[in-house]
Amino acid sequence: MMVQYQRIIAPMSLGRYSLVMVTEAKMVAIVDDDELMRGALQGLLKAVGMKAQTFASAEEFLKSGKYRDTACLIADIRMPGMSGLELQAKLNAEHCCIPTIFITAHGDAKMRMQALRAGAAEFLTKPFDDEVLLETVRAALES
Amino acid sequence: MNFPNNSNLTEAEVRRYALCYGLALASVAAAFALARMFIYFHLPQPFTSFAMSAIAITFWYGGAAPGILAAVFSIFIRNYLFPEDVNLLGRLGYNFGFIIFALLMIGVRRRRSNLEVKVAGRTAELTRANEELNLEIAERKRAEDKVRQSEAYLAEAQKLTHTGSWVWEVGGKRALHLSEEWYRVYGFDPSHGLEAWRKRLERIHPNDRAKRQETIDQAINNKSEYDIEYRIVLPDGAIKYVHSVGHPILDCSGNLMQFVGSSTDITERRLAEEALRQAQSDLAHISRVTTMVELTASLAHEVNQPIAAAMTDANTCLRWLNRDEPNVAEARGAASRVVKDATRAAEIISRTRLLFKKGTPQSELVNMNDVIREMLVLMIGDMSRLSIAVRMELADDLPQITGDRVQLQQVLMNLMANSIDAMRDADGNRELEINSQRGQNGQVMVTISDSGVGLPPQQADQIFNAFFTTKPNGTGMGLRISRSIIESHGGRLWASDRLPRGASFYITLPIEPPANE
Repeated sequence: MMVQYQRIIAPMSLGRYSLVMVTEAKMVAIVDDDELMRGALQGLLKAVGMKAQTFASAEEFLKSGKYRDTACLIADIRMPGMSGLELQAKLNAEHCCIPTIFITAHGDAKMRMQALRAGAAEFLTKPFDDEVLLETVRAALES
Repeated sequence: MNFPNNSNLTEAEVRRYALCYGLALASVAAAFALARMFIYFHLPQPFTSFAMSAIAITFWYGGAAPGILAAVFSIFIRNYLFPEDVNLLGRLGYNFGFIIFALLMIGVRRRRSNLEVKVAGRTAELTRANEELNLEIAERKRAEDKVRQSEAYLAEAQKLTHTGSWVWEVGGKRALHLSEEWYRVYGFDPSHGLEAWRKRLERIHPNDRAKRQETIDQAINNKSEYDIEYRIVLPDGAIKYVHSVGHPILDCSGNLMQFVGSSTDITERRLAEEALRQAQSDLAHISRVTTMVELTASLAHEVNQPIAAAMTDANTCLRWLNRDEPNVAEARGAASRVVKDATRAAEIISRTRLLFKKGTPQSELVNMNDVIREMLVLMIGDMSRLSIAVRMELADDLPQITGDRVQLQQVLMNLMANSIDAMRDADGNRELEINSQRGQNGQVMVTISDSGVGLPPQQADQIFNAFFTTKPNGTGMGLRISRSIIESHGGRLWASDRLPRGASFYITLPIEPPANE
């Protein structure tokens, strides 16, 4: 159950970095089989004050039931077991319209089209620009 | 005294007859004339003596018939041309004397003929003997030439093959025969003679002396053949490889008398083998590089992960530091994550760099289990992405084998990559199974099985041929090179179908290195 809170925005421009303080942490879910990437994403989000939970596989994410509280999902596509696109399909089937951002090493156009058409918020290839990722996450959380 | 059968006499024969009979008449006439002269000078008349001489001469030089003619003529002259009165008895006496003399001379003549015949016979015999001797000499010379020629051919053959033959006496420990090529192989001057035999021990490489002596001593004890290879060092420092084979010669009581055998300079062969091994290694290297190029896509992906994470962590670090109040603690945390990410990237690269390295074939003790695990780590990225389950059953007591680690890694990588490719487009369970066990005959056996598309029908062995590939971009050299690597280690590599689906590849490797190592 999502609760709307008044957001206090105190922009503090430092070059290209803008900081958004969010009073109520909306949960971001990170699903990636690579431990280093999970750690990096979680660290990045923490630096901008967002809370994130990490899952080593799509199955783990679904099993945990946390998807109900997830405000934004960052997922890898190629994973052993269920792939990111399959996860997206599953969530769509359950009408859990979680804004999803895909980060993947393989970035062919066909996959990108498929993901975006299925309702993904963004499709990024590794290595990605962290600013773009953060913008997308912010946009997803605002919606 | 031969009368010719045909009535036509040749001129020579006519002349001869004329001479002989002429001699008869002339000699007696001469005797008569001389006698007459003696009478004239009141000397005692010697006609009888002269006549007898004439008769003798005629018999000797003219023959029996002219001799008889001379005798008759003498009788005639004596009787009718000498007027002295000799009584009938005396006259008969003289005549009788002449006749007896003639008869004697006939005997003499016959003896002479016989002698002549004998002499001729002897001469003929001698001539024949001489001819036979000459023939024998010619024969012997021919035989000698043949021997010399065959010796020359043999020497030539020895020269061409750099093989010297020898015979040495066991008791006296000296050489009985050393062929010319033997001197050349050892670098001695042939004029040194058999003494050079002792000096050869000095030229044998110190590291090979003990083993060589041991082998020869054993052969002496067992009265058996020996077959050894060793190095020799020439005075100018050059090293040659020599292959020596000896065969024992026993006397009738079974005692060991001599060894006869040959020593061959196999330096060229050894160098060729070395060059071949190097070429094989170069080829394996090229194949490695090609295979690595095929794996580059998955490698690029694998390295990309830690690099992307490093970028994110570095940016995170900067964010922490760029605040009005930098959070050094968090920044530090992010920075250490960068280090971890970069380390992982370096690890991936160094693992694969080893396979790009080109080197001469090394020989060391290798545990195949380690090689399997190392290669598995390399391929784990691909395998997890394709959801391939890996099952390993590696024997704990797997003995070590002697071989080139990098080449063996290459073989395993090739087989694993093939298995992964076979399962890439297959549905159902994707399973890679790797076994290692101690096989029969003291061998190590490694099996790699997959549940992929399996082997092309009826082509189980053709897949090991050069340029055979089922992939659109395949070079077709992977299995060919893998097999030649395994075979050069003294082992075997083959494949078979796996039921219900897939293929199995089997490697056997001996624990003892191949004989020529």
